Amino acid sequence: MSFDFALAWDSMPALLNGAWMTVLITASVMAVGAVLGFGMCLVRMSRNRVLAAVGAAYVAVFRGAPSIVLLYLVYAGLPQLSIVRDTPLWVLFASPLFCAILGLGLNHSAYVVEILRGALSAVPPGPVEAALALGLSPRLVFLKVRLPIAVRYGLKAYQNEVLIFLKSTVAVGAVTIADLTGAANEIFSMTYDPFTPLVTAGAMYWAMTNSLRLAFEALDRRLNRHLAAGVPDSRPATARRADPGSALFRRLRRSPAKPAE
Amino acid sequence: MGLAFQTDLGLDARLRHRAAIEIRGLRKRYGAQEVLRGVTLTVERGEKIVLCGPSGSGKSTLIRCINGLERHDGGTIAVNGVDLDADGRGVQDVRREVGMVFQHFNLFPHMTILENCTFAPRHALGLSPAKAAERAMHHLARVRIADQAGKYPAQLSGGQQQRVAIARALCMDPKIMLFDEPTSALDPEMVSEVLQVMEELAAQGMTMLCVTHEMGFARHVADRCVFLDHGEIVEQADAERFFAAPESERLRAFLNQMLR
Repeated sequence: MSFDFALAWDSMPALLNGAWMTVLITASVMAVGAVLGFGMCLVRMSRNRVLAAVGAAYVAVFRGAPSIVLLYLVYAGLPQLSIVRDTPLWVLFASPLFCAILGLGLNHSAYVVEILRGALSAVPPGPVEAALALGLSPRLVFLKVRLPIAVRYGLKAYQNEVLIFLKSTVAVGAVTIADLTGAANEIFSMTYDPFTPLVTAGAMYWAMTNSLRLAFEALDRRLNRHLAAGVPDSRPATARRADPGSALFRRLRRSPAKPAE
Repeated sequence: MGLAFQTDLGLDARLRHRAAIEIRGLRKRYGAQEVLRGVTLTVERGEKIVLCGPSGSGKSTLIRCINGLERHDGGTIAVNGVDLDADGRGVQDVRREVGMVFQHFNLFPHMTILENCTFAPRHALGLSPAKAAERAMHHLARVRIADQAGKYPAQLSGGQQQRVAIARALCMDPKIMLFDEPTSALDPEMVSEVLQVMEELAAQGMTMLCVTHEMGFARHVADRCVFLDHGEIVEQADAERFFAAPESERLRAFLNQMLR
């Protein structure tokens, strides 16, 4: 068994088509996961016991179920209900792509709930108290202080989860979607060469996960630049000029206030 | 003297004499443990009070009740005439009047020094970014740290961070400042730079309630020292008498511990 470069080259268009589907599904599921995950995290952390229980059940069900089972349930199970089949909802549920994004999104968002919840609980009370003591509304304190700090804490765990679920998108083959793995399998069944298309697809997955990794690392550096001691404002000059404080800062630096120490 | 004049004086005096902070019979418990057991304390406008006592005596809880970071279980608190209910009403009004400085600085780690100081004026007072920055730079210059405005808190020393925290509170134009052991987390050589800023603030007439064990500060600045033990005010006196001639056995024991 050897790697057939000619076949790999010839199967590029089909594989890239499949890879595009994988990217599309991954990006959509990340979006669904961010929205559902954030919303359900607030529900999960609600002081209202009923809401909190609903949130806990959400996590237990959608994190507990394998994503392939969720895919089958959404694609083949829900249309058994007449409320899905005989209403405009059918337009959505008749689409395998919609079902795939919803099924994987439910699974992924349950993980996001727990990652975000852990990160929010890890935020030290000090800065939050300081913001409250300044007279800021609890809502604003959550959005501008607690959440941004939590996002920084949770980023690594979130990155892990995204990379894992990107690879688990192969399950969408179960609902007739031809993604990267599907395309590779198709070529395998036509050529009886399993090695070449699957290794090529593997290399593409590797390229995707590593692009994501690099993107996450760049985001991490950007968000955590406050921890890189000794590095002053690294924003582009245009951003610095747009900051009204920095002009004042520069002016004061030219004629510093006399230190009395 | 005419009667009218007397009434005028009475009304005027009553307005002028409305205390900065009026605490009556304050009670607070955590579960079965009572941390404040009926504390009554009045802070006049412009007065500087130093609050001390052994660890667990309720000092921090007392000042955290004043701006509603802790809810009290009994008694009353009024700040500049605004009542703070046990269920938290009036808390936003009170927080506008009262600035607070914490033991561990509690700067916003993800914001620059300037952003730390402009955040509340912009979002709670609705100042424009330029106005807020101007105000922030004024107060940062006041605590002699304006040249660090573009840095992040993690890039500053403890003493610098604490001075930023003071500037951040001042940016809201508070009438009263609460200090919760502002120098306890600092390396010894940084204590004086923070105390100096606090002394300047005191000299400018700020009403201050400080939990601190800095005796030099207490002697220089405090109009009154208050000793708290087991959730009660045991003794209060002017600084000289407080340290030189403590009346109660508990305060004597506490001072002995501290001087050792």
